[in-house]
Amino acid sequence: MNMKSLLLLVLGISLSLTAFSQNKADAVVGVWETGNGKARVKIDKEGQKYVGRIVWLREPNDPTTGTPKVDKNNDEESLRARPLKGLRILQDFVYDEADAEWEDGTIYDAENGKTYKCVMTMKDANALNIRGYIGIPTFGRTDVWKRLQMPKK
Amino acid sequence: MRRIFIRTLAVLISTTFFAVAQTDSTEDFSQYDQLDFAEAGLKRYASPKILDLSPQKLISLGYDFQGAYTLTEGLLRSGAGNAILPEPQEATRFNYSHGVRFFANIPIVSKSSVVWQGGVNYLEHHYQAEAKDGRIGLAGLETGNTLASKGLKSIGLHTTLYKPLNEKQFLLFQVAADLNGDFSWNEIPEPAQLRYSAVAIWGKRPHDRLQWGVGLSRTYRVGEMNYIPVVMYNWTMPNRKWGTEILFPARAHIRRTFSPRSLAMAGFELEGQSYQLRSLPNDLPSGTTAHLRRGEIRLRLIWERQIKQFIWFSAQVGYRLNYRFNVDAIDQGREFYRGFFGDQLYLQTNQLGNTPYAQFTINLVSP
Repeated sequence: MNMKSLLLLVLGISLSLTAFSQNKADAVVGVWETGNGKARVKIDKEGQKYVGRIVWLREPNDPTTGTPKVDKNNDEESLRARPLKGLRILQDFVYDEADAEWEDGTIYDAENGKTYKCVMTMKDANALNIRGYIGIPTFGRTDVWKRLQMPKK
Repeated sequence: MRRIFIRTLAVLISTTFFAVAQTDSTEDFSQYDQLDFAEAGLKRYASPKILDLSPQKLISLGYDFQGAYTLTEGLLRSGAGNAILPEPQEATRFNYSHGVRFFANIPIVSKSSVVWQGGVNYLEHHYQAEAKDGRIGLAGLETGNTLASKGLKSIGLHTTLYKPLNEKQFLLFQVAADLNGDFSWNEIPEPAQLRYSAVAIWGKRPHDRLQWGVGLSRTYRVGEMNYIPVVMYNWTMPNRKWGTEILFPARAHIRRTFSPRSLAMAGFELEGQSYQLRSLPNDLPSGTTAHLRRGEIRLRLIWERQIKQFIWFSAQVGYRLNYRFNVDAIDQGREFYRGFFGDQLYLQTNQLGNTPYAQFTINLVSP
Protein backbone atom coordinates (compact mmCIF):
# COMPACT_ATOMS: atom_id res chain seq x y z
CA MET A 1 0.00 0.00 0.00
CA ASN A 2 1.48 3.31 -0.99
CA MET A 3 1.25 6.52 1.02
CA LYS A 4 -1.66 7.88 -1.03
CA SER A 5 -3.78 4.78 -0.43
CA LEU A 6 -2.96 4.86 3.27
CA LEU A 7 -4.04 8.47 3.55
CA LEU A 8 -7.26 7.70 1.71
CA LEU A 9 -7.93 4.78 4.06
CA VAL A 10 -7.34 6.89 7.16
CA LEU A 11 -9.54 9.64 5.75
CA GLY A 12 -12.25 7.11 4.92
CA ILE A 13 -12.18 5.57 8.39
CA SER A 14 -12.26 8.94 10.13
CA LEU A 15 -15.13 10.12 7.94
CA SER A 16 -17.06 6.92 8.69
CA LEU A 17 -16.45 7.34 12.43
CA THR A 18 -17.54 10.97 12.25
CA ALA A 19 -20.70 9.98 10.37
CA PHE A 20 -21.39 7.19 12.88
CA SER A 21 -20.91 9.58 15.78
CA GLN A 22 -23.10 12.16 14.05
CA ASN A 23 -25.84 9.58 13.59
CA LYS A 24 -25.80 8.82 17.31
CA ALA A 25 -25.82 12.52 18.16
CA ASP A 26 -28.73 13.19 15.79
CA ALA A 27 -30.78 10.32 17.19
CA VAL A 28 -32.45 12.83 19.51
CA VAL A 29 -33.84 14.81 16.59
CA GLY A 30 -37.57 14.29 16.11
CA VAL A 31 -40.93 14.89 17.77
CA TRP A 32 -41.42 13.67 21.34
CA GLU A 33 -44.36 13.56 23.70
CA THR A 34 -43.75 14.53 27.33
CA GLY A 35 -44.31 11.98 30.09
CA ASN A 36 -47.65 13.47 31.14
CA GLY A 37 -48.86 13.61 27.52
CA LYS A 38 -49.64 17.32 27.77
CA ALA A 39 -47.19 18.55 25.16
CA ARG A 40 -45.19 17.50 22.12
CA VAL A 41 -41.73 18.88 21.59
CA LYS A 42 -39.78 18.94 18.36
CA ILE A 43 -36.05 18.63 18.82
CA ASP A 44 -33.85 20.01 16.06
CA LYS A 45 -30.20 20.61 15.51
CA GLU A 46 -28.93 24.14 15.15
CA GLY A 47 -25.25 24.26 14.31
CA GLN A 48 -23.64 21.88 16.77
CA LYS A 49 -26.35 22.31 19.40
CA TYR A 50 -29.73 20.73 19.93
CA VAL A 51 -32.85 22.70 20.74
CA GLY A 52 -36.50 21.84 21.25
CA ARG A 53 -39.76 23.73 20.97
CA ILE A 54 -43.38 22.99 21.82
CA VAL A 55 -45.34 22.09 18.68
CA TRP A 56 -48.52 20.67 20.22
CA LEU A 57 -50.54 21.07 23.40
CA ARG A 58 -53.26 18.74 24.61
CA GLU A 59 -55.09 21.82 25.89
CA PRO A 60 -53.99 24.58 23.51
CA ASN A 61 -56.31 27.21 24.97
CA ASP A 62 -56.33 28.79 28.40
CA PRO A 63 -59.56 27.52 30.08
CA THR A 64 -60.19 30.87 31.76
CA THR A 65 -59.77 33.09 28.69
CA GLY A 66 -60.45 30.66 25.83
CA THR A 67 -57.49 32.09 23.95
CA PRO A 68 -54.28 30.26 22.97
CA LYS A 69 -52.02 29.65 25.96
CA VAL A 70 -49.18 32.07 26.47
CA ASP A 71 -46.07 32.06 28.63
CA LYS A 72 -47.88 33.83 31.48
CA ASN A 73 -45.73 32.43 34.29
CA ASN A 74 -42.47 33.80 32.94
CA ASP A 75 -40.39 35.82 35.38
CA GLU A 76 -39.93 38.49 32.75
CA GLU A 77 -43.12 40.40 32.26
CA SER A 78 -42.19 41.32 28.66
CA LEU A 79 -42.18 37.61 27.71
CA ARG A 80 -45.53 36.66 29.20
CA ALA A 81 -47.48 37.30 26.00
CA ARG A 82 -45.50 34.94 23.78
CA PRO A 83 -47.47 31.87 22.64
CA LEU A 84 -46.59 28.50 24.16
CA LYS A 85 -46.92 26.85 20.77
CA GLY A 86 -43.58 27.36 19.10
CA LEU A 87 -41.89 28.26 22.37
CA ARG A 88 -38.33 27.00 22.64
CA ILE A 89 -38.02 25.12 25.91
CA LEU A 90 -34.83 23.11 25.27
CA GLN A 91 -31.64 25.00 24.58
CA ASP A 92 -27.89 24.62 24.17
CA PHE A 93 -27.57 20.85 24.31
CA VAL A 94 -24.33 19.38 23.01
CA TYR A 95 -23.72 15.71 22.50
CA ASP A 96 -21.07 14.05 24.67
CA GLU A 97 -20.08 10.88 22.88
CA ALA A 98 -18.17 9.43 25.85
CA ASP A 99 -21.22 9.60 28.11
CA ALA A 100 -23.73 9.14 25.28
CA GLU A 101 -25.76 12.06 26.56
CA TRP A 102 -26.82 15.52 25.48
CA GLU A 103 -25.60 17.87 28.17
CA ASP A 104 -24.98 21.50 29.16
CA GLY A 105 -28.54 22.36 28.16
CA THR A 106 -31.51 23.88 29.91
CA ILE A 107 -35.21 23.10 30.01
CA TYR A 108 -37.90 25.68 30.62
CA ASP A 109 -41.04 24.63 32.50
CA ALA A 110 -43.79 26.95 31.31
CA GLU A 111 -46.12 25.78 34.09
CA ASN A 112 -44.05 27.55 36.71
CA GLY A 113 -41.79 29.81 34.68
CA LYS A 114 -38.63 28.13 35.91
CA THR A 115 -35.57 27.12 33.90
CA TYR A 116 -33.61 24.07 35.00
CA LYS A 117 -30.29 22.62 33.99
CA CYS A 118 -30.96 19.54 31.94
CA VAL A 119 -29.33 16.43 30.58
CA MET A 120 -30.88 14.05 28.02
CA THR A 121 -30.09 10.38 27.49
CA MET A 122 -31.70 7.89 25.14
CA LYS A 123 -33.28 5.09 27.12
CA ASP A 124 -33.80 3.34 23.82
CA ALA A 125 -34.46 4.48 20.25
CA ASN A 126 -37.97 5.64 21.14
CA ALA A 127 -37.66 6.81 24.73
CA LEU A 128 -35.77 9.86 25.93
CA ASN A 129 -34.83 10.46 29.56
CA ILE A 130 -35.00 14.17 30.30
CA ARG A 131 -33.54 15.08 33.69
CA GLY A 132 -34.10 18.60 34.92
CA TYR A 133 -32.11 19.52 37.99
CA ILE A 134 -30.90 22.24 40.31
CA GLY A 135 -27.14 22.63 40.64
CA ILE A 136 -26.22 18.95 40.51
CA PRO A 137 -28.23 16.12 38.90
CA THR A 138 -28.98 14.65 42.36
CA PHE A 139 -31.51 17.42 42.95
CA GLY A 140 -33.64 16.64 39.96
CA ARG A 141 -36.40 14.68 38.34
CA THR A 142 -36.38 12.53 35.23
CA ASP A 143 -39.24 12.57 32.78
CA VAL A 144 -39.45 9.97 30.05
CA TRP A 145 -40.49 11.33 26.66
CA LYS A 146 -41.83 9.06 23.92
CA ARG A 147 -40.92 9.37 20.27
CA LEU A 148 -43.71 10.15 17.81
CA GLN A 149 -43.89 9.44 14.12
CA MET A 150 -46.24 9.89 11.22
CA PRO A 151 -49.12 7.36 11.32
CA LYS A 152 -48.51 4.13 9.43
CA LYS A 153 -50.88 3.80 6.51
CA MET B 1 -12.21 39.05 -4.82
CA ARG B 2 -12.30 35.50 -3.64
CA ARG B 3 -12.40 36.62 0.01
CA ILE B 4 -15.33 38.95 -0.71
CA PHE B 5 -17.18 36.10 -2.38
CA ILE B 6 -16.66 33.80 0.63
CA ARG B 7 -17.82 36.48 3.05
CA THR B 8 -20.89 37.22 0.95
CA LEU B 9 -21.70 33.52 0.83
CA ALA B 10 -21.31 33.24 4.62
CA VAL B 11 -23.64 36.18 5.17
CA LEU B 12 -26.20 34.70 2.75
CA ILE B 13 -26.09 31.30 4.49
CA SER B 14 -26.41 32.76 7.99
CA THR B 15 -29.23 35.09 6.88
CA THR B 16 -31.09 32.17 5.34
CA PHE B 17 -30.61 30.13 8.52
CA PHE B 18 -31.78 33.01 10.67
CA ALA B 19 -34.83 33.43 8.48
CA VAL B 20 -35.66 29.72 8.84
CA ALA B 21 -35.27 29.92 12.64
CA GLN B 22 -37.69 32.80 12.74
CA THR B 23 -40.42 30.98 10.84
CA ASP B 24 -41.51 29.03 13.93
CA SER B 25 -44.47 31.28 14.63
CA THR B 26 -45.91 30.78 11.15
CA GLU B 27 -45.42 27.03 11.18
CA ASP B 28 -48.42 24.83 10.53
CA PHE B 29 -48.70 23.11 13.90
CA SER B 30 -51.63 20.96 12.78
CA GLN B 31 -49.11 18.54 11.23
CA TYR B 32 -48.29 17.42 14.80
CA ASP B 33 -51.89 16.56 15.70
CA GLN B 34 -52.04 13.13 14.13
CA LEU B 35 -48.84 11.48 15.24
CA ASP B 36 -48.49 7.97 16.65
CA PHE B 37 -46.07 6.60 19.19
CA ALA B 38 -43.08 5.09 17.42
CA GLU B 39 -43.37 2.16 19.79
CA ALA B 40 -46.77 0.72 20.61
CA GLY B 41 -47.89 -0.06 24.13
CA LEU B 42 -46.03 2.71 25.89
CA LYS B 43 -47.42 3.56 29.29
CA ARG B 44 -48.10 6.93 30.87
CA TYR B 45 -47.90 7.53 34.60
CA ALA B 46 -49.67 9.80 37.05
CA SER B 47 -47.40 12.66 38.05
CA PRO B 48 -46.73 13.01 41.79
CA LYS B 49 -47.70 16.68 41.61
CA ILE B 50 -50.70 18.74 40.69
CA LEU B 51 -50.74 22.32 39.43
CA ASP B 52 -49.79 25.00 41.95
CA LEU B 53 -49.09 22.66 44.84
CA SER B 54 -46.77 24.37 47.32
CA PRO B 55 -43.18 23.55 46.38
CA GLN B 56 -41.78 20.34 47.76
CA LYS B 57 -38.83 21.01 50.05
CA LEU B 58 -35.61 19.11 49.36
CA ILE B 59 -33.63 20.81 52.11
CA SER B 60 -35.09 22.98 54.82
CA LEU B 61 -33.45 24.87 57.66
CA GLY B 62 -35.66 26.65 60.12
CA TYR B 63 -36.26 28.16 63.52
CA ASP B 64 -39.31 27.61 65.71
CA PHE B 65 -40.34 29.88 68.58
CA GLN B 66 -43.18 29.48 71.08
CA GLY B 67 -44.36 32.18 73.48
CA ALA B 68 -44.88 31.87 77.23
CA TYR B 69 -46.93 29.05 78.73
CA THR B 70 -47.27 26.98 81.89
CA LEU B 71 -46.68 23.30 82.56
CA THR B 72 -48.81 21.97 85.39
CA GLU B 73 -47.56 18.55 86.43
CA GLY B 74 -49.46 15.74 88.03
CA LEU B 75 -48.00 13.28 90.55
CA LEU B 76 -45.18 11.20 89.15
CA ARG B 77 -46.17 7.62 89.99
CA SER B 78 -44.20 4.46 90.28
CA GLY B 79 -45.00 1.47 88.14
CA ALA B 80 -47.32 0.31 90.95
CA GLY B 81 -49.31 3.52 90.78
CA ASN B 82 -47.91 5.01 94.02
CA ALA B 83 -46.66 8.58 94.08
CA ILE B 84 -42.85 8.75 94.14
CA LEU B 85 -42.65 12.53 94.06
CA PRO B 86 -44.71 15.02 96.07
CA GLU B 87 -47.58 17.01 94.65
CA PRO B 88 -46.03 20.05 92.91
CA GLN B 89 -46.66 23.25 94.81
CA GLU B 90 -46.48 25.43 91.73
CA ALA B 91 -46.42 24.94 88.02
CA THR B 92 -43.39 25.60 85.85
CA ARG B 93 -43.65 28.77 83.85
CA PHE B 94 -41.76 28.75 80.57
CA ASN B 95 -40.96 32.23 79.27
CA TYR B 96 -40.50 30.79 75.83
CA SER B 97 -39.28 27.70 74.07
CA HIS B 98 -37.47 27.51 70.78
CA GLY B 99 -35.20 25.45 68.56
CA VAL B 100 -33.74 24.87 65.12
CA ARG B 101 -35.10 22.38 62.61
CA PHE B 102 -33.37 20.74 59.70
CA PHE B 103 -34.98 18.55 57.12
CA ALA B 104 -33.58 16.93 53.98
CA ASN B 105 -35.52 14.84 51.49
CA ILE B 106 -33.27 13.92 48.59
CA PRO B 107 -34.39 12.11 45.44
CA ILE B 108 -32.73 8.72 45.11
CA VAL B 109 -34.69 7.61 42.08
CA SER B 110 -36.83 10.17 40.34
CA LYS B 111 -38.46 9.25 37.08
CA SER B 112 -41.93 8.98 35.59
CA SER B 113 -42.49 5.38 36.67
CA VAL B 114 -41.25 5.68 40.26
CA VAL B 115 -40.05 8.34 42.68
CA TRP B 116 -38.02 7.27 45.69
CA GLN B 117 -36.71 9.79 48.16
CA GLY B 118 -34.78 9.51 51.39
CA GLY B 119 -33.58 11.94 53.98
CA VAL B 120 -32.79 12.98 57.49
CA ASN B 121 -34.45 15.26 59.97
CA TYR B 122 -33.21 17.00 63.06
CA LEU B 123 -35.30 18.97 65.50
CA GLU B 124 -34.46 20.48 68.85
CA HIS B 125 -36.53 22.33 71.38
CA HIS B 126 -35.13 24.31 74.31
CA TYR B 127 -37.27 25.44 77.21
CA GLN B 128 -36.51 28.72 78.98
CA ALA B 129 -38.05 28.41 82.46
CA GLU B 130 -38.79 31.26 84.82
CA ALA B 131 -36.34 31.08 87.75
CA LYS B 132 -37.69 31.29 91.32
CA ASP B 133 -35.16 32.35 94.00
CA GLY B 134 -32.34 31.20 91.77
CA ARG B 135 -33.93 27.81 91.15
CA ILE B 136 -35.76 26.75 88.05
CA GLY B 137 -38.37 24.54 89.66
CA LEU B 138 -39.50 23.08 92.94
CA ALA B 139 -39.50 19.48 94.07
CA GLY B 140 -42.18 17.62 92.17
CA LEU B 141 -41.76 19.75 89.05
CA GLU B 142 -39.41 17.18 87.63
CA THR B 143 -40.64 17.12 84.05
CA GLY B 144 -40.39 20.91 83.91
CA ASN B 145 -36.88 20.77 85.38
CA THR B 146 -35.84 18.08 82.95
CA LEU B 147 -37.10 20.06 79.96
CA ALA B 148 -35.51 23.29 81.20
CA SER B 149 -32.13 21.70 81.77
CA LYS B 150 -31.93 19.25 78.90
CA GLY B 151 -34.46 20.25 76.24
CA LEU B 152 -35.72 17.81 73.63
CA LYS B 153 -34.13 16.52 70.46
CA SER B 154 -35.23 14.37 67.53
CA ILE B 155 -33.01 12.82 64.92
CA GLY B 156 -34.41 10.56 62.28
CA LEU B 157 -34.33 8.98 58.88
CA HIS B 158 -37.25 8.81 56.49
CA THR B 159 -38.02 7.53 53.05
CA THR B 160 -40.87 8.05 50.60
CA LEU B 161 -41.85 5.89 47.66
CA TYR B 162 -44.31 7.14 45.05
CA LYS B 163 -45.38 4.47 42.59
CA PRO B 164 -47.83 5.40 39.83
CA LEU B 165 -49.82 2.41 38.68
CA ASN B 166 -51.01 4.07 35.48
CA GLU B 167 -51.99 7.52 34.24
CA LYS B 168 -54.61 7.97 36.99
CA GLN B 169 -53.77 5.83 40.02
CA PHE B 170 -50.83 5.77 42.39
CA LEU B 171 -49.50 4.31 45.61
CA LEU B 172 -47.61 6.31 48.20
CA PHE B 173 -45.55 4.87 51.06
CA GLN B 174 -43.63 6.70 53.76
CA VAL B 175 -41.56 5.20 56.57
CA ALA B 176 -39.67 7.09 59.27
CA ALA B 177 -37.51 6.05 62.21
CA ASP B 178 -36.75 8.62 64.91
CA LEU B 179 -34.76 8.82 68.11
CA ASN B 180 -36.34 11.37 70.43
CA GLY B 181 -35.49 12.44 73.92
CA ASP B 182 -33.63 14.64 76.37
CA PHE B 183 -30.28 13.30 75.20
CA SER B 184 -27.10 15.13 74.30
CA TRP B 185 -24.85 14.21 71.39
CA ASN B 186 -22.60 11.98 73.52
CA GLU B 187 -25.50 9.94 74.89
CA ILE B 188 -27.64 9.16 71.88
CA PRO B 189 -30.26 6.53 72.79
CA GLU B 190 -29.88 2.90 71.84
CA PRO B 191 -31.68 1.61 68.71
CA ALA B 192 -34.39 0.02 70.88
CA GLN B 193 -35.65 3.56 71.49
CA LEU B 194 -36.32 4.15 67.80
CA ARG B 195 -39.92 5.16 67.13
CA TYR B 196 -41.28 4.04 63.77
CA SER B 197 -43.94 5.82 61.75
CA ALA B 198 -45.41 4.78 58.43
CA VAL B 199 -48.19 5.62 56.03
CA ALA B 200 -49.58 3.82 52.99
CA ILE B 201 -51.96 5.54 50.58
CA TRP B 202 -53.77 4.49 47.46
CA GLY B 203 -54.82 7.45 45.37
CA LYS B 204 -56.16 8.81 42.14
CA ARG B 205 -55.12 11.77 40.05
CA PRO B 206 -58.12 12.40 37.77
CA HIS B 207 -56.59 15.55 36.24
CA ASP B 208 -53.83 18.12 36.66
CA ARG B 209 -55.66 19.91 39.46
CA LEU B 210 -56.78 17.08 41.69
CA GLN B 211 -55.08 14.31 43.59
CA TRP B 212 -56.83 12.36 46.30
CA GLY B 213 -56.20 9.21 48.24
CA VAL B 214 -57.04 7.11 51.27
CA GLY B 215 -54.83 5.04 53.48
CA LEU B 216 -53.65 4.07 56.92
CA SER B 217 -50.91 5.48 59.12
CA ARG B 218 -48.93 4.42 62.14
CA THR B 219 -48.18 7.73 63.72
CA TYR B 220 -46.83 9.53 66.78
CA ARG B 221 -48.33 12.85 65.79
CA VAL B 222 -50.70 12.69 68.73
CA GLY B 223 -47.82 11.96 71.10
CA GLU B 224 -48.19 8.24 71.45
CA MET B 225 -48.31 5.48 68.88
CA ASN B 226 -51.63 5.21 67.11
CA TYR B 227 -53.13 3.74 63.95
CA ILE B 228 -55.20 6.30 62.10
CA PRO B 229 -56.91 6.33 58.69
CA VAL B 230 -55.64 9.12 56.44
CA VAL B 231 -57.26 11.07 53.64
CA MET B 232 -55.31 13.00 51.04
CA TYR B 233 -57.00 15.72 49.05
CA ASN B 234 -54.84 18.11 47.02
CA TRP B 235 -56.91 20.27 44.75
CA THR B 236 -56.56 23.46 42.73
CA MET B 237 -59.54 25.43 41.45
CA PRO B 238 -59.85 26.06 37.69
CA ASN B 239 -58.91 29.72 38.19
CA ARG B 240 -55.70 28.47 39.87
CA LYS B 241 -56.02 30.97 42.70
CA TRP B 242 -57.38 28.75 45.43
CA GLY B 243 -56.86 25.15 46.44
CA THR B 244 -56.43 22.69 49.26
CA GLU B 245 -53.48 20.69 50.56
CA ILE B 246 -54.81 18.04 52.89
CA LEU B 247 -53.32 14.94 54.43
CA PHE B 248 -55.87 14.54 57.18
CA PRO B 249 -55.46 14.27 60.13
CA ALA B 250 -51.74 15.17 59.94
CA ARG B 251 -52.40 18.51 58.25
CA ALA B 252 -55.04 20.38 56.32
CA HIS B 253 -54.69 23.74 54.58
CA ILE B 254 -56.53 26.04 52.24
CA ARG B 255 -54.08 27.49 49.73
CA ARG B 256 -54.13 30.87 48.01
CA THR B 257 -51.74 31.19 45.09
CA PHE B 258 -50.67 34.75 44.33
CA SER B 259 -48.21 33.82 41.57
CA PRO B 260 -45.90 30.91 40.73
CA ARG B 261 -43.49 32.56 43.16
CA SER B 262 -45.74 33.30 46.10
CA LEU B 263 -48.53 31.61 48.05
CA ALA B 264 -50.24 31.54 51.43
CA MET B 265 -51.99 28.79 53.37
CA ALA B 266 -54.28 28.64 56.37
CA GLY B 267 -55.01 25.52 58.37
CA PHE B 268 -53.50 23.24 60.96
CA GLU B 269 -50.86 20.60 61.50
CA LEU B 270 -50.62 17.91 64.15
CA GLU B 271 -47.12 17.65 65.50
CA GLY B 272 -45.81 15.26 68.09
CA GLN B 273 -43.50 12.48 69.12
CA SER B 274 -42.66 10.19 72.01
CA TYR B 275 -39.50 11.37 73.81
CA GLN B 276 -37.42 9.25 76.12
CA LEU B 277 -36.74 11.25 79.33
CA ARG B 278 -33.61 9.75 80.85
CA SER B 279 -33.15 12.60 83.29
CA LEU B 280 -36.58 12.28 84.83
CA PRO B 281 -36.25 10.89 88.38
CA ASN B 282 -38.18 7.64 88.78
CA ASP B 283 -38.08 4.27 90.45
CA LEU B 284 -38.89 2.33 87.33
CA PRO B 285 -37.30 -1.12 86.94
CA SER B 286 -34.06 -1.35 85.00
CA GLY B 287 -34.77 -1.23 81.25
CA THR B 288 -38.04 0.63 81.71
CA THR B 289 -37.86 4.26 80.70
CA ALA B 290 -40.09 7.29 80.94
CA HIS B 291 -41.44 8.67 77.67
CA LEU B 292 -42.98 12.09 77.25
CA ARG B 293 -45.94 11.86 74.88
CA ARG B 294 -45.96 15.27 73.24
CA GLY B 295 -48.78 16.00 70.81
CA GLU B 296 -49.92 19.43 69.71
CA ILE B 297 -52.18 21.10 67.18
CA ARG B 298 -50.76 24.06 65.35
CA LEU B 299 -53.38 26.41 63.95
CA ARG B 300 -51.45 28.49 61.47
CA LEU B 301 -51.04 30.88 58.60
CA ILE B 302 -48.18 30.19 56.22
CA TRP B 303 -46.64 32.49 53.68
CA GLU B 304 -44.12 31.14 51.18
CA ARG B 305 -42.15 33.11 48.65
CA GLN B 306 -39.43 32.43 46.15
CA ILE B 307 -36.26 34.33 47.00
CA LYS B 308 -34.24 33.26 44.00
CA GLN B 309 -34.88 30.43 41.57
CA PHE B 310 -35.13 27.34 43.80
CA ILE B 311 -34.59 29.02 47.15
CA TRP B 312 -37.84 29.72 48.97
CA PHE B 313 -38.58 31.44 52.25
CA SER B 314 -41.43 30.26 54.44
CA ALA B 315 -42.91 32.02 57.45
CA GLN B 316 -45.70 30.71 59.63
CA VAL B 317 -47.46 32.17 62.62
CA GLY B 318 -50.20 30.62 64.66
CA TYR B 319 -51.42 29.24 67.92
CA ARG B 320 -50.10 26.07 69.48
CA LEU B 321 -52.78 24.05 71.26
CA ASN B 322 -51.69 21.27 73.57
CA TYR B 323 -53.20 17.89 72.79
CA ARG B 324 -51.15 15.70 75.12
CA PHE B 325 -48.10 16.16 77.34
CA ASN B 326 -48.20 13.07 79.55
CA VAL B 327 -45.49 10.63 80.56
CA ASP B 328 -45.62 6.87 80.03
CA ALA B 329 -43.40 4.05 81.28
CA ILE B 330 -42.07 1.93 78.43
CA ASP B 331 -40.46 -1.42 79.07
CA GLN B 332 -37.30 -2.24 77.07
CA GLY B 333 -38.27 0.36 74.47
CA ARG B 334 -41.23 -1.80 73.42
CA GLU B 335 -44.12 0.39 72.35
CA PHE B 336 -47.67 -0.37 73.42
CA TYR B 337 -50.98 0.60 71.86
CA ARG B 338 -53.40 2.70 73.85
CA GLY B 339 -55.31 4.20 70.94
CA PHE B 340 -58.17 6.57 71.66
CA PHE B 341 -59.97 4.24 74.04
CA GLY B 342 -57.24 2.38 75.96
CA ASP B 343 -57.29 2.60 79.78
CA GLN B 344 -53.59 2.13 80.55
CA LEU B 345 -52.47 4.54 83.30
CA TYR B 346 -49.96 7.26 82.52
CA LEU B 347 -46.88 7.56 84.71
CA GLN B 348 -47.69 11.25 84.92
CA THR B 349 -50.63 13.28 83.64
CA ASN B 350 -49.80 16.90 82.83
CA GLN B 351 -51.47 20.02 81.58
CA LEU B 352 -49.68 22.33 79.21
CA GLY B 353 -50.83 25.86 78.44
CA ASN B 354 -51.42 27.02 74.88
CA THR B 355 -49.41 29.78 73.24
CA PRO B 356 -48.73 31.70 70.04
CA TYR B 357 -45.83 30.50 67.95
CA ALA B 358 -43.84 31.41 64.83
CA GLN B 359 -41.58 29.49 62.51
CA PHE B 360 -39.26 30.58 59.72
CA THR B 361 -37.51 28.35 57.21
CA ILE B 362 -35.22 28.70 54.20
CA ASN B 363 -35.78 25.93 51.68
CA LEU B 364 -34.29 24.43 48.60
CA VAL B 365 -37.29 23.27 46.62
CA SER B 366 -37.75 20.51 44.09
CA PRO B 367 -37.90 21.05 40.30
